[in-house]
Amino acid sequence: MPADPFKFKQTKEISRKDILLSVACEPESTRLFVGSSDSNVHVIDFAAEKAEPIALDGHSGYVTGVAISGAFIVSGAYDGKLIWRDRKTLKADRTHKAHDKWIRAVEASPDGKLIASVADDMICRVWDVTSGKMKHELRGHELMTPSHFNSMLYACAFSTDGSYLATGDKVGHIVVWDMSSGKSVKTMESPGMYTWDPRARIHSIGGIRSLAFSPDNSVLAVGGMGKVGNIDHLEGKARLELFDWRAEKSVQVVECDKTKGLITRLAFHPKNDWLVGAGGDSKGALVFFDTAGKKTLREESVAAHVHKFAATDSMDRLYLASHNKLSIWELSA
Amino acid sequence: MSAKNTFCGSIEHGITRRAFLSRVGVGSALLGTSGAVHTFAEEGLTQALKASGKRVILLWLAGGASQIETWDPKPGRPTGGPFAAIPTSVPGVHICELMPEMAKRMKDLTIIRSLNSRNADHGGGAVLMMRGRQDEPTVKYPDLGAILAKEHGRADSKVPDYISLYTAAEGRDFSRVSSGFLGARFNPMKLGESMTPPNMKRLDSISDVDHHSRAELQEMLNRQFIGGRELSSTKSHANAYARVHGLMSSEQLFDISKEPEHVKKMYGPTLFGQQTLMARRMVEAGVPFVRVARAWWDSHGQNFETHQEMVPELDRVMAGLMDDLKQRGMQDDVLVIAMGEFGRTPTINSSLGRDHFGSAWSVAMFGGKLKRGVVYGKTDKDGKEVAENQVGAGNVFATILEAAGIRHDKEYHVGARPIPLVNPGIKPIKDVLA
Repeated sequence: MPADPFKFKQTKEISRKDILLSVACEPESTRLFVGSSDSNVHVIDFAAEKAEPIALDGHSGYVTGVAISGAFIVSGAYDGKLIWRDRKTLKADRTHKAHDKWIRAVEASPDGKLIASVADDMICRVWDVTSGKMKHELRGHELMTPSHFNSMLYACAFSTDGSYLATGDKVGHIVVWDMSSGKSVKTMESPGMYTWDPRARIHSIGGIRSLAFSPDNSVLAVGGMGKVGNIDHLEGKARLELFDWRAEKSVQVVECDKTKGLITRLAFHPKNDWLVGAGGDSKGALVFFDTAGKKTLREESVAAHVHKFAATDSMDRLYLASHNKLSIWELSA
Repeated sequence: MSAKNTFCGSIEHGITRRAFLSRVGVGSALLGTSGAVHTFAEEGLTQALKASGKRVILLWLAGGASQIETWDPKPGRPTGGPFAAIPTSVPGVHICELMPEMAKRMKDLTIIRSLNSRNADHGGGAVLMMRGRQDEPTVKYPDLGAILAKEHGRADSKVPDYISLYTAAEGRDFSRVSSGFLGARFNPMKLGESMTPPNMKRLDSISDVDHHSRAELQEMLNRQFIGGRELSSTKSHANAYARVHGLMSSEQLFDISKEPEHVKKMYGPTLFGQQTLMARRMVEAGVPFVRVARAWWDSHGQNFETHQEMVPELDRVMAGLMDDLKQRGMQDDVLVIAMGEFGRTPTINSSLGRDHFGSAWSVAMFGGKLKRGVVYGKTDKDGKEVAENQVGAGNVFATILEAAGIRHDKEYHVGARPIPLVNPGIKPIKDVLA
């Protein structure tokens, strides 16, 4: 049955004491790899009646990125390390001190040959999965915000053919990189994702938290939060901006009516029928948009803020890594 | 013209009050602006500072900074958050990795980690920390700045006794600066969005020479008028003019542009850094108490992102201030305090935020009559409760007074009623006092 955003329901929920920050689902398997605030990657068999996770150690910070690529599971954490683990044995095969600051995301290329990591050193590094060697070091984001505070590089995404990689930072700067040359090819700005409050609170909130290319690679979707009045809270409207990235042009902005907070993850339906974002404020949210980005199809609350989600290739199932919770949602119910 | 129609009441000076006022340009531009800052020349000032008692700079972390992301890290605990703890120059003492500069300077720092202020409300917490206690229905207590102003201010001072800088709009209404029963004389000069007091400058339409002439005329008339009169109102009037004169001549005090580049760099480019540099200039010039409010730390959502921005700034500014005071030989004469109205919850909420928390938090201080390199008190492994040497806001208040050279058991009087500076039975923390 095809995935349908109007037919979805939660089928499983696993309560946790830790904060689940990243998740990857293994194709044709019931295993999930979940990055946690306890510095471990937890292997969870969601089909088991009683989930008994296996904890994989090696990090010393929040695990904010997990990606399955070829024969490896690669995790990245706030300790700046990337750890390659063998998918069969689950043993650590290789560890790199990849960044000087927090790693914010780890993504695998669609062909499983490359891994990209982004961190608060404002560098994106692209790695050959098999050899572990760095292929590209991509520098195109400022270390400091215009107000002289540390910036952050939150998100990256490969195009569906693996030819391009997009990166997005705190102040809303986006760069698209050519993966064969490692050169910047396009840049865009999405300043609406970043709120600098110069008067009331004198600091900032927001940033580009998610990126996704459309299935035909014509559109780059950018997720975050719109302008915020009171930056003590995640009270801005969840925000999606679509770019015709080849023309370096913003083509559509949608700010959600019901959903407040960040969109921390975006994914397109493989047939370009719709795209889904997740995140929220203290409450979690799932938002479905039409692919023209002109409207939201559906906005639903989920129990807790969603830090990341993983989806099956057909998008008929979503795995939500949330605050103290892992939940599974079927979209063909 | 009759004597009663003259400003000073003297027939010899047949100038009407209206004429006098029009000539001296009473209003925003009374007196000269040039040639007075030299009275704060560094060498003489430092000596004067040593002779006249301690000065205090309060870095007011408005909105409530997290103790876990600053002075009392809990790495590896569920409450600890994502930041690591780093060693400091005092063996065995670790602070948050966001403060590498203060970690190097820990040997000159004092941290109190066991404060239970029992108040997690912005306004109530601010009153408590600024005054050491809550007001009584009939008695409004003076805050730290007012007490310092009264104890260490000088009647002939050309500079204000108490200055409060609070630029951010949020929380300014909660900031609770007050001279209480000491009266308006000890209220702070508040600087908000402008870093300099308004209307300080001489009017462009008045030349510098004319300005000085008018000042001399005003002073001469004033002296003659006061002669033979012992009324407090006349003295007060003269004092007010003198203080306005002093303030106007202090214009350069508020101008940090002339500071050497290497000094400005120590404090960094942000507003908080610039204001703290200004605070150093002020205490150097003899201002007994300057509060620099850095708002707003109230990170109910995205606590770690907020502290990633604000703690490195605090680290740089505190380290810069410590080094600057040391280089000027002022480290024993100026007490610096970093605190707000409360800390933040160890529990991390689902917006990755921390909420208000007054049960087990930290205050950091250096200089004055404090011991160096001391950590006092301890919280439990998750930072949820005080585990050792619990102190309250009153104890911290009493400690600050003693470290600033003021006996905590001193009494003021409201009418005939003696009012101690802290509530009866409240003691300073002797283990942190030199």
